[in-house]
Formats: sequence, structure tokens, C-alpha cells
Amino acid sequence: MPDKIKILYVDDEADNLVGFKASLRLHYKVFTAVNVPQALSYLDNNPDIRVVFCDQRMPDKTGVDFFEEIRISHPLPVRILITAYTNVESIIDAINKGNIFRYVKKPWTEADLIAAIDEANKFYMANSMLSIKNEELQKAYNELNKFAHSVSHDIRGPLTGILGAINLAREMDDAEEMKEMMFLMEKSVKKLDAYVLSMHDYYSLQRGELKIREIDFHKIMDELKGIYDINARINHIEFTINVKQEETFRNDEAPVKLIFNNLLSNAFKYQDKKSKTKSVEVDIEVRKNIATIYVKDTGIGILGSHVGEIFNLFYRSNSVEVGSGLGLYNVKSALSKLNGQIEVNSVLHQGTTFKVTIPSI
Amino acid sequence: MNIGHSFIIIDDSELDSFLTRKFLELTYKDVTIESFQDARQALDTIRETPGGNSLTQTIILLDLQMPLMNGFQFVEEFEKLPAEVQKKYKVIVQTILTSKSDPNDISNILAYKTVNSVIQKPLSRGKLLSLSEQLRSDV
Repeated sequence: MPDKIKILYVDDEADNLVGFKASLRLHYKVFTAVNVPQALSYLDNNPDIRVVFCDQRMPDKTGVDFFEEIRISHPLPVRILITAYTNVESIIDAINKGNIFRYVKKPWTEADLIAAIDEANKFYMANSMLSIKNEELQKAYNELNKFAHSVSHDIRGPLTGILGAINLAREMDDAEEMKEMMFLMEKSVKKLDAYVLSMHDYYSLQRGELKIREIDFHKIMDELKGIYDINARINHIEFTINVKQEETFRNDEAPVKLIFNNLLSNAFKYQDKKSKTKSVEVDIEVRKNIATIYVKDTGIGILGSHVGEIFNLFYRSNSVEVGSGLGLYNVKSALSKLNGQIEVNSVLHQGTTFKVTIPSI
Repeated sequence: MNIGHSFIIIDDSELDSFLTRKFLELTYKDVTIESFQDARQALDTIRETPGGNSLTQTIILLDLQMPLMNGFQFVEEFEKLPAEVQKKYKVIVQTILTSKSDPNDISNILAYKTVNSVIQKPLSRGKLLSLSEQLRSDV
């Protein structure tokens, strides 16, 4: 059963409070306050109070004035004024100044109150859904802004480079120079391609549904070994994989693969080219429904002051290697989808270790 | 025209910096070029060799959008160097940003007193020639 809805009733007459609480306590969590300071302290300590009732006639402050005040300081709870039948002035006032949701006539019946709370609660829910949606929209909008900015740089950048190369090619006649330029052009094209692919990853992570199935880490790593062995051989990088999995593991396979792909491509990409012993090591252990994964490299490492930012969208901490600034951001989104965690341990010029934990579902 | 031109290229893109170098070599006969992928290294080098490399002014061809230290940050730091060091250099910005799509960025970078002008990427020989025309008339 869900938690009871929290409501607050403010009235200077203790008898009214007792009566109110007695008839509603079964259905709701009722707070009662005899004066405004007490009411405010309840509101401060219980930000999830959804409905506030207040009597119009109180000695230190009218109900309308009270609502006018909390409308600014505590805008979320729905405000309902309780007032005597004849008091039309105060009702108009309450609507205009206190911006109340509705009023209940005195003397009230239990049915009146329950109906009012029911309506108020619906209004509250609609409002809070709206603000959640608003926040999501704002976030999406901010990301869209970043994308628009990045598209101009990360897509136009390589393209203008290639265009410039075509301009230059018209004036070049040395074949060796031409080959060197082709090599750099190829790098730019690959960068662009990788960018578009990770853009696709980004999109599928944001919009895709979970597809739970059994995951065999041996199988995943066999596939990846096939892909990265070539890179390892060409660049003289020792590549080792250790998998210990004896139990069934269930989760969405696509994000798991995405995480491995990004961490591994980084581990290979950010090797120290001058170093004699280069290695990448993957350790996976599945125990008690949790997969613990280490991806260790002996690469260039990440500067301490940058470690906090590497998971941010479009952040790049290195100017020598081409990065899109999307890879680790996607890793982080993938993990939040899988309910997993990631930790980084990096020493500059020595290497980086990522530790990932993913629960089985 | 060949009284020894000196350039510093600051661009994180290998291809772009290759292109700039080749275009410079095609345009000027006697030319010294240093290139940096990381603007911080360029700044350190300028700081350590305050006299510059040549008797003439060194032209810094600066990209704007770079990781770690972008073109704006570079100029910001460059203008903190002693005036006699700054005098040895002239900053020309090379960027894919356009005054149409990014008018603020373009006018912001031109607002720096050491930034002489902005060239739109991709570079071409024509653009370099009109730049050197302009630089000559500046003197």
C-alpha cells in the first residue's frame, strides 16, 4: 500500500483540529497546527505535504494572508480555505491573493473534505508530473544545445579539413607528401565515422528499451578479442582477458557490449607510444549476481584534475588522440541503464584502471 | 618577399595543421614553422623563448576550438605576457566558425587587441595570399 497522503490543517481552535484529525486520520497522514509558526515548521519539515487547509479567521493572521505567504515560500502544496458561509469577501480575496485551489464551507462534512482532498491530490499530481516533465525537457534541451554546438565542430571540423586537403592536392606533385596527406585524411574520415557511430549509441541509450537476457561474458570477450587482437599485434600491446563466470547473469547485452567497446578502444588508443611494455588487461568475475569488471591499461593516464570531468558530455582531456567526447558519457549512461557503477583509478604516464560493477537482474 | 617568415601553428587537428604547413611552404620560400597540437605547449614555448625565432614578427595561426586550452584561453594567457614579448607576435585566428553562424564567438575573439584577423577554414592558397597582402599593408 502506498504511503498515506500528507495533509496539514491550520486553525486556532483546538476543537476543530481534533475533530478534523479524528475523521480523516484513517485515510490520510494529518498534521494539525494551532498557529502560523507551527504550520510553517510542519511545511519545512515535511516538503511532501500535498494539501494545506486553513481556517480564514485566526487571531495573528487571516487564512488568506497565510496562503499569500506560503504561496511564495512553499508553492507545491495545494491550498484550500475553510471559511464560514457568508464570508464572500474573504473568498474572493483568497482566490485573488492566496491563489487557492478551492474553499470548503463551514461547518464541513467529512464527505466535503474527502472530495476536496481527492481533487486537490489529483491537481498536485498533475502539477508535479508537469514539473518532472519540465525538468526532463530542460535537460533534453540543454543536451540538444550541446549537440548543435558539437555538430558544428565535430562534423564540420573533419569535413573542412578534407576540403582543405582537396584544395592542397591541386598544388601538390610529390607522391610521398600526397600519401602522408591521404593518411591524415583517412584519420579524419575515421574520426567522423566514429563520431556518427557514437551518436547512434547515444540515441539508442536515451531512447531504447531494456532487453533482458542471459549474458555469457566468455562469448562477449571472444568476439572482442577477435576485434582487438589485430590492434594489439600491430602496436605491440599485450592483450590479456580473464573471465570467471560460473553462474547465470542476466541484463541487457547491448549496453554491456557498448561499455566494453568504449573502455577497450580507449585502453588501446591512449597507450604511451614511447613505452616499451604496453598492455591491456580485462578481468571479469561474476559472483553472487554481480559482475565485477576491470579494464587496465599501461597508457598515458589521466590528469588528476580532469578525472572528475571525463564522464561529461563532449569533454576531452587529450589533444593528441582524436576523441569525440561521447565515449565515456555513453558508458556512464549505459551503466545507469544497467544499474551499474564505475570507478576510475589513473596515474599520469603509468596507466588507467576502470572498475565496473553490473548487477544481474 | 623572402626575408624569412616565421609561423607558429596551433591546431589540435593533425590534418589541418599539416595543410597549414604545406600551404605556408608553397606560399613563402624562406619560412620557419613550428606546430603545436596543444595550445599550452605553444604558450610555454613562447614564454621560454621570449625573443621569438626571427628578426621579423612571428605569425601565430590559432585554431579556436581545441580541448584542454581553446583559442580564447590561449589569447587570454598570451595577453598576460610582457608587452615586449607580445610585440614579437601577431595572432591570426583560423576557424571553422563563421561570422554568420557564430557571430558572438567571432566578434569576441576579434575584440582581443593581439588578434589581427580571422580566416575561415578550409585554408586555400588564395586566402593565404590575401592575408600576406593585408599583413604587408599593416606594417
